Amino acid sequence: MSESSMTRPPTAAAHHTSLGVDNRKLGVWTFIGSETMFFATLITTYFVFAPVNRARPDFQDPRKFLDIELTTVLASILLASSLTMVLALSASRRGDRRSFTTWLLATVGLGLAFIGGQVYEFNHLYHEGLTLSSSLFGTTFFVLTGFHGAHVAVGVIWLLSVFFKVRAYPDSPENAMDVEIAGLYWHFVDLVWVAIFVLVYLI
Amino acid sequence: MAIAERTAGTVSIPVVNVRPGWAGWLSTTDHKRIGIMYLVSAFVFFLIGGIEALLMRIQLGVPDNTFLTPDVYNQLFTMHGTTMIFLGLMPLNVGLGNYLVPLMIGARDMAFPRLNALSIWLFIFGGLMLYVSFFVGGAPNVGWFAYAPLTQKQYSPTAGVDYWIIGIGLTGVASIAGALNFIVTILNMRAPGMTLNRMPLFVWMQLVVAFILIFAFPVLTVATIQLLFDRHFGTRFFLPNLGGDVVLWQHLFWFFGHPEVYILILPTMGIISEVLPTFSRKPIFGYAFVAYSGVAIGFLGFLVWAHHMFAVGLGPLANAFFGAASFLVAVPTGVKIFNWLATMWQGSLNLTTAMHYAIGFISMFIIGGISGVTLASPPINVQQTDSYYVVAHMHYVLFGGAIQGIFAGIFYWFPKMTGRMLDERLGKWQFWLMLISFNLTFFPMHLSGNAGMPRRIYTYEADMGWNLWNLISTTGSLLLAVAFLLFLWNVVTSIRRGPIAPADPWDGATLEWAVSSPPPVYNFAVTPRVRSRRPLWDQKYPHLREINSGHGMSGAHNESEKRDGFEHETSPAMEPIHLPSPTYAPLIVSVGIMILGFGIIYLSDFGLIAASAMIVGLLIMAFGILSWVRISHVDSPHHAH
Amino acid sequence: MAGHSEEHSAHAHPSDRFYWIVAGVLAVVTALEIGLFIVNEQHLIAKWLEVTLLLILSTIKGAAVVMFFMHLKGDAGIFKFVFLVPLAFATTLLLSFMVLFSDHVGIAG
Ligand SMILES: [Cu+2]
Repeated sequence: MSESSMTRPPTAAAHHTSLGVDNRKLGVWTFIGSETMFFATLITTYFVFAPVNRARPDFQDPRKFLDIELTTVLASILLASSLTMVLALSASRRGDRRSFTTWLLATVGLGLAFIGGQVYEFNHLYHEGLTLSSSLFGTTFFVLTGFHGAHVAVGVIWLLSVFFKVRAYPDSPENAMDVEIAGLYWHFVDLVWVAIFVLVYLI
Repeated sequence: MAIAERTAGTVSIPVVNVRPGWAGWLSTTDHKRIGIMYLVSAFVFFLIGGIEALLMRIQLGVPDNTFLTPDVYNQLFTMHGTTMIFLGLMPLNVGLGNYLVPLMIGARDMAFPRLNALSIWLFIFGGLMLYVSFFVGGAPNVGWFAYAPLTQKQYSPTAGVDYWIIGIGLTGVASIAGALNFIVTILNMRAPGMTLNRMPLFVWMQLVVAFILIFAFPVLTVATIQLLFDRHFGTRFFLPNLGGDVVLWQHLFWFFGHPEVYILILPTMGIISEVLPTFSRKPIFGYAFVAYSGVAIGFLGFLVWAHHMFAVGLGPLANAFFGAASFLVAVPTGVKIFNWLATMWQGSLNLTTAMHYAIGFISMFIIGGISGVTLASPPINVQQTDSYYVVAHMHYVLFGGAIQGIFAGIFYWFPKMTGRMLDERLGKWQFWLMLISFNLTFFPMHLSGNAGMPRRIYTYEADMGWNLWNLISTTGSLLLAVAFLLFLWNVVTSIRRGPIAPADPWDGATLEWAVSSPPPVYNFAVTPRVRSRRPLWDQKYPHLREINSGHGMSGAHNESEKRDGFEHETSPAMEPIHLPSPTYAPLIVSVGIMILGFGIIYLSDFGLIAASAMIVGLLIMAFGILSWVRISHVDSPHHAH
Repeated sequence: MAGHSEEHSAHAHPSDRFYWIVAGVLAVVTALEIGLFIVNEQHLIAKWLEVTLLLILSTIKGAAVVMFFMHLKGDAGIFKFVFLVPLAFATTLLLSFMVLFSDHVGIAG
């Protein structure tokens, strides 16, 4: 131990952690664990109310309102953004700045496209008569998907901030980790959509 | 760069650029200062919560009293419960943890010092927002668990419930950020040799609590968001006339609420597990059991929430399940008590004030635990639910238990934090006065509760048979106030002219006693190397080492390792001490979030003004985050020195 | 741990080609889900069977995202702990609430 610490560069001490993992990465994973409970509660509420909605006189049928084609597009966008995200990380680790820029901005673009699609969907549903207060379906659907959309928006801001940080300090050794933890959050948001897609739109 | 270095011997001691006076506190990222800020602000809130309780006790002292109006009484019991739990007990534990965890594991600071600063500011602002409600139409008056549909706009038209939601929300974000920080710090910032199985039990319990918090709090967050939407944006989650479900609120609230009890009590069990061995001059009996039973309690805590809902009518199957699961909790808890008793058994007891409180904790917690077991039985629970018996039970657990545990911790670590000793004699006076008056206040509530007195009533008629018990309770509560005044006096005088505290006044076993009192800003000039659970005892009493450590050292270790329980890392001169710079960024972000919160409360009533406030809040937040990102880049260990 | 280190580094940085393959599988599974959904609007198979198949397919999707895009497979055990434990709690929450509310449909029922 003492021998290796003699040969370590001075900054290596900051890297040394008890579990050998990065502090921020561990923090983001823990945060993702917490967010899992957050969305689980929203989804649980949706399921508790689904049969009540069906039994009520102001019943609104999810099958009649939700458009499977638009949903398919939204789901594909987020899945594709997960691919571009992981390619951006891979490029960042290689030090390939050009393809990093391409893939990261592609991810941001896909994220924005998802938000745009959701705005379109909400607007469409609103004109069809589905609102927060029109039925239990409206109440639970908009709060669940709305909070997911807000998470996508936060993810876009996070990715953009990483992009500008990397551009300002292209040689910072922390860049790959910055990209990785933003990516973890991004994939998690995609993961939540995988769940919402099947539980709300398909079942 | 905030740090200049000068060399002292082989170690480079950092000179940290701490801003003087108030600016130093407002911009601090030092876990010790943040810990003190937590303790002081939480204690202020705690005193306010105590005053609220006193007012209620005065009202209930005699029958048909008109000292308080019913509405004010409702506001007081709501604020008392909310304050004591979210603004008192929780942050007192967090404050102790913030100060001590890095010291105990041999770290220089928390893993995320700026996030730590954000937590303290969000906590303070969340608490202040809750109290703003008193001045803008009335505090929340729906009980600390805010049952639906009473919380809906038609029954609670003032903004009190909204302030409750946002106040709890801000402290909730603070708690989650804080828990995240504890988890990463404890798991990842331990000094070399400080394995999980060598960590002080206080650190263990803080780790368990951080996990419980991270997993339980989001459920409350979602429930309160849904309530907010019900009140302002037309949803119907908890509006039964539109198909909403009031029982869902109860389930969500208690899914969080029961683990919350462990968030309050487990850290104090950790405190006891440090204080008892030190003053029994013996290692803790069954270290592993105390640690792992804490984990077991944490897990079980997620499976018992509906024991708060036996009167709802969930059906015999659900009641039986939740009753049985609740009984199970008594097993790891009960064995913990035997661990503590066995620790004291045949020890040479040093009955300091802290030790008094530790023993007080055990005895009062046993009473609260036993009344808890009775309440876990559905048929008994149905008789006692919503009666003063429940009030008695939870105060035996949270006051007789948690508060006494926290006092044990304060008397134990005050010298470390301030460099001054508290007056032990005065402390013992306070202990006895508190113990007697606590029992005077709360024991009669078992009896008035069993005589049928419901909770949350603002007055009662003279012929109910509750007069005597209430009079005794009120007398006891006034004496309790005197006990707290004694403590305040003790703190104020001791900080000024108490005896100077040495580094290790109690002959402690853990790392915080290895550094000066108060510790230097960088905690450890050289990172310690840990070789056992009781590094300081092993160093001070090498001949007892084999007995102490339980597992003798193998011959593979060299002489110096045999001599010292811990030693300093070699070649420290190679590694400059790196401390985070002070920054206002977390404070700015918190201010932005608070303004955002005010905007949300008034969004549906004053659309334009509130929306502008929200935008201002967001802009302040954005500015704060920008300066945060900049300082964290400059501060990063990779940045050139 | 030492025995895993080789495997670990192999998993830590897979090639871009691998990511494209994973994405292709995800696309196929999504197509299967939607196909199943559309085809069964004719009620060809029982609803419970459709739901089961959909849940299996989306579990595969989610697992692929977590294991390969988030690199949880082959990454440090602590990450698995802080994600899988709350996932277990979340599942408990969902299932237990569905049981608790199964014959409780508010005043509508
Ligand atoms: Cu409970």
